[in-house]
Amino acid sequence: MDLLNHIALGAQIVLQPMNLLFCFLGVLMGTLVGVLPGLGPTAAIALLLPNTFQVPPVTAIIMLAGIYYGAMYGGSTTSILVNIPGEASSVITCLDGHQMALKGRAGPALGMAAFGSFIAGTVAVIGLMLVAPPLAKFALAFGPPEYFSLMLLGIIILIYLASGSILKALMMFVFGLLLSTIGMDNISGTKRLTFGILELSDGVGLIPAIMGLFGVAEVISNVEMEMKRDLVTTKVRNLLPNLRDWKDSFWPVIRGSVLGFFFGVLPGPAPVISAFSSYAIEKRISKHPEKFGTGVIEGVAGPEAANNAATGGAFIPLFTLGIPVNSVIAILLGAFMIHGIQPGPMIISKYPDLFWGTIISMYLGNAMLLVLNLPLIGLWVQVLKVPYPVLFPFILLFCLIGVYSLNFSQVEIGLMIVFGIIGYLGRKFQFELAPLVLAIVIGPMMESNLRLSLVISQGNPMIFIEHPISAVFIFVTFFLLVSSLIPGIGKRRRKLRETVETECV
Amino acid sequence: MKSYDRIAAIFFLAVGGFFSLYARRVKIGTWNEPEAGFLPFWGGLLLVGMSVFLLLSTFKAPDSPVRMTFFPVAGAWKRVLVTFLSLAAYNLLLNRLGFTLTTFLFLGFLVRFIFPQGWRRTLLVAFIGSVIARLLFINFLETQLPIGILGF
Repeated sequence: MDLLNHIALGAQIVLQPMNLLFCFLGVLMGTLVGVLPGLGPTAAIALLLPNTFQVPPVTAIIMLAGIYYGAMYGGSTTSILVNIPGEASSVITCLDGHQMALKGRAGPALGMAAFGSFIAGTVAVIGLMLVAPPLAKFALAFGPPEYFSLMLLGIIILIYLASGSILKALMMFVFGLLLSTIGMDNISGTKRLTFGILELSDGVGLIPAIMGLFGVAEVISNVEMEMKRDLVTTKVRNLLPNLRDWKDSFWPVIRGSVLGFFFGVLPGPAPVISAFSSYAIEKRISKHPEKFGTGVIEGVAGPEAANNAATGGAFIPLFTLGIPVNSVIAILLGAFMIHGIQPGPMIISKYPDLFWGTIISMYLGNAMLLVLNLPLIGLWVQVLKVPYPVLFPFILLFCLIGVYSLNFSQVEIGLMIVFGIIGYLGRKFQFELAPLVLAIVIGPMMESNLRLSLVISQGNPMIFIEHPISAVFIFVTFFLLVSSLIPGIGKRRRKLRETVETECV
Repeated sequence: MKSYDRIAAIFFLAVGGFFSLYARRVKIGTWNEPEAGFLPFWGGLLLVGMSVFLLLSTFKAPDSPVRMTFFPVAGAWKRVLVTFLSLAAYNLLLNRLGFTLTTFLFLGFLVRFIFPQGWRRTLLVAFIGSVIARLLFINFLETQLPIGILGF
């Protein structure tokens, strides 16, 4: 009964005209961002975040969340039509999706990607409604030691699942932690590393960092490589999948939805991992695995469902614990704080309109995406025809305006350029950027919880072991770190990653 | 790849060392009462340790047989450098020339000189882009962007 009341509350909030409009704008912009290679949901949310300061927090979060799952949708369009993934999570859709397009079946591929994503989004929203409230109640027992060790565990899982070197990912995390200390200390009010620059009193700033690392750096990397496109130019027909397509796709969609939802709760690039895993599973259990890669609809339906469901699952740690599991959710967490919402398990009880409003908006947003994307395929094809040499200056312009409009500060534009250089070099030197971003966002919280824990325990670090919940987190963290260093297990981790990647290719 | 890792290790060694040394200017405190310099100090030391480990590992492991070039595409370094410099130039000119004119010059420069487009296309894109940006951000969204010496 309670659940029904909460759903009614959420519906009441979402059906307000402004929230409906912003939900629509969010999914539309998310789809556009997903369609355009070179601009991800992270950069898009960072670009649009300053424009949400004038609207209520619920409205802002509804729009920003819409951009996230909208981008997953949009990424499949370029994968199928252009063989360039719009998002990293759509890489695997290129394999069978583009082959279907080359055979004149772009319509059913796009259609099934849309329907599969809608079903997966619905599954994820239901999961979120059922799982988040009880988990939030459990999290009320958390104190500073639990929070610190949970955040540490979250980062270590993210690093463990990283595709590159664990040592290098750890170094980026510590680097991010150090950068997060720049500015005024929350506890003592002491200024650290501000060098007399007023703008640095509040820290390096999440927006300049994100814009630089993901917006500017991404564009510069694309400018370097001279992006070329192979656009399928034949008219896209028959967007509705036929009965046979539905029969072949139904169970892959269901499996992908469940898989993606549970992966989404884990830190890391969950949409990517869940899409790859779904493809590997479907190929393994298929009666005709040799057909994968030649244009089978299961190769599109399962991964697209998985990556969309993962976006829903990722909201669980955000709403229940205030912990971001990837860089997109980290920016949403930043948006919470900018709008004056303290993240943590109290969000659901203190801001029920925010929680239930966002959940119902996700369901509505998925329905909007289904309605939007099928008729608008023609428009997205036209957008894809805009040459990148004309497009990229506008992306950079948005980054510049987005940062400048925060505080009208040239120092912050300078910071964005510096982070752009860091992001560009990070890609070149193969250092993961996600641990850096997460550390910048959660660094202040980690520091506060660490120092509070040490004050409570009078300097005894064993407090993290003496509290049972914290001890479990520390044990798992330690196990993951040590296991990656043990040659046998470390090799198995690499082999497992390589197996998933080669099974799919 | 080993040479890249060495350069990165030296960079992070310097960063970690800097933070650890700086932390001594603000109070580090004790484990009982950690102060503002606590995390920068210990975090800096941790980064130094990891950097040393990375540096040493580059001398032990064999290098990849595939030689990586920093700029695999010929002439790419110019595009990268010029794009970064144009961002810096935008920052410097924004308050002097104003948003509309600076945006016009920025768009025109990038469209013309990074992946060279014809002059007609360049001027069209720069003009339409700067006008739309002005109408959207200044007139519609009322963002406080600088007007500049020419008054628009």
